[in-house]
Amino acid sequence: MTRSAWGHAVSLDDINGKVAIVGIGETEYTKVSGRSVTEIGAKAAERAIEDAGLQPTDIDGLAYSGAFPGFGVPEFHDHFGTSHDMWTTPWGGGMAWAGTVPYVAARAIANREASYILNVFGVAWASERAQMTGGPGEVHATQTAKQNLEVPFGWFPQPVYFATIMRRYMHEHSTSREEFGALAVTLREHANLTPGSVFHAKSLTMQQYLDAPMLADPLCLYDSCPISDGGGAFIVTSAERARDLKQAPVIVLGVGEGYSATGTNWSQQREFTKTPQIFSSPGAFAMAGLGPSDVDVLCCYDPFTVVSLMQIEDMRFCEPGEAGQLALQGHLRFDSGRLPYNTHGGLLSHAYVLGIAHCIELVKQLRGSASAQVEDCRVGVYGGYTGHMASTLVLGTDR
Amino acid sequence: MAITRETFPLPDVSNPFLAPFFDGAAKGELLITRCRLCDVLVWYPEESCPTCSNDLEWVQVSGRATLFSWAVVRRPFLPAFEDMVPFVTALVALDEDPHVRLCSFIVDVDPEPLSIDSPVEVVFRPLQFATVPGQFVIVPMFKPAEM
Repeated sequence: MTRSAWGHAVSLDDINGKVAIVGIGETEYTKVSGRSVTEIGAKAAERAIEDAGLQPTDIDGLAYSGAFPGFGVPEFHDHFGTSHDMWTTPWGGGMAWAGTVPYVAARAIANREASYILNVFGVAWASERAQMTGGPGEVHATQTAKQNLEVPFGWFPQPVYFATIMRRYMHEHSTSREEFGALAVTLREHANLTPGSVFHAKSLTMQQYLDAPMLADPLCLYDSCPISDGGGAFIVTSAERARDLKQAPVIVLGVGEGYSATGTNWSQQREFTKTPQIFSSPGAFAMAGLGPSDVDVLCCYDPFTVVSLMQIEDMRFCEPGEAGQLALQGHLRFDSGRLPYNTHGGLLSHAYVLGIAHCIELVKQLRGSASAQVEDCRVGVYGGYTGHMASTLVLGTDR
Repeated sequence: MAITRETFPLPDVSNPFLAPFFDGAAKGELLITRCRLCDVLVWYPEESCPTCSNDLEWVQVSGRATLFSWAVVRRPFLPAFEDMVPFVTALVALDEDPHVRLCSFIVDVDPEPLSIDSPVEVVFRPLQFATVPGQFVIVPMFKPAEM
């Protein structure tokens, strides 16, 4: 176990090669749609089950996000007209938990609690925020310290937190706006290549980035992801069963989980310009028996451009402060042969569905069926991040 | 989940957990919690010291700090901020322990000449929002330190 003053890694059992992802399903990704989380979850589940060549009655495990309820076992049975017993866990869904749910599933499968576990996640923040009932800021505004010691002082919500982190990062590393802009433009190009992304038909140039309005200087419109409605699902089963199914299995090689000691109180995080990916990624790579140089495609949770740069560095793909140069030199492009990054467009340009689409994109890349396909793609990594927690999921083709 | 307190986003000075901070500000004192045993400043306030679990006490600090980082907020993210933008919200690192960062407004200055790690000092000003008419809370804000 790695411990330091500002965070720690969770010690996990070795599950390398034990389980695989065998089905993926996505809904339409949109701005305000009027859809509910339940409808989104049901559609994603339906498509993942079909993709795997399974029947709803085969699904005997359901993982969802306890923080985003709306599609649990009752809703599953309602939708599919089923009534069988199902194992279930709230430690799934999207965000960092999209990266750790294969581990939770592997444990349940090893304990014979379930055979085919569906992980499902939907978000309807675009529609909910339009009705003023939700959105990413609400959970922070309800915490006592933040509500009384941050919000009244204008330090709220996430664009302001990350503008402050971005300014400090720019100071520490002499990062130019063009470096953040190169990342935003690269991800937009990936979204332009990916049908179904919210920004599929909308291009972005460096000049547009530089001219964009500031939300909270130094963070401009294109440093921040939009709010979306949509969701996705994937199915985890044992590697043995996976080899008898319709799709080429995508094997789970490594999982890591790390925490910041200050939780989501970014203001007090000791290392202000780093993420708990520092703690999460070493264990995942060690479990996989691989290192950053073995990775063919990387998808990180990227609500803001600076979060991408920090995670790429914290996972040791480059030295601190160098990720912006990777972007500027084109090394994050899907066809760079170097570090293809968020090849679907990420939260910034594909859709703000909180990481589930990142994992689905990795499965597509490893199946060879992605839109912006990376050549000879064998190892893919997801970097999940929720502020207080980071996860690392290493996936690979079946050898 | 929704916040129903009518004075939001003014701080809730009746919250016993945080009241000493605002009572202190009203008297022109900047108060922070400190562990009675470790003698270390703990921020944000906790039920007990995260290191040794002993009680915390409120102690006065100098109000001298450095500008750790800031944002110039141009889009009003809450209705209360609509007539305030643009404003500078910052994290300032206390001289007594730079690991303690207070969140507040930087006042009496244009954002352009601000520089990271430059010295700032506390001033106590009324905080009021057009969306909460007739009410104010005295809070610590910061301005560039006199040279």
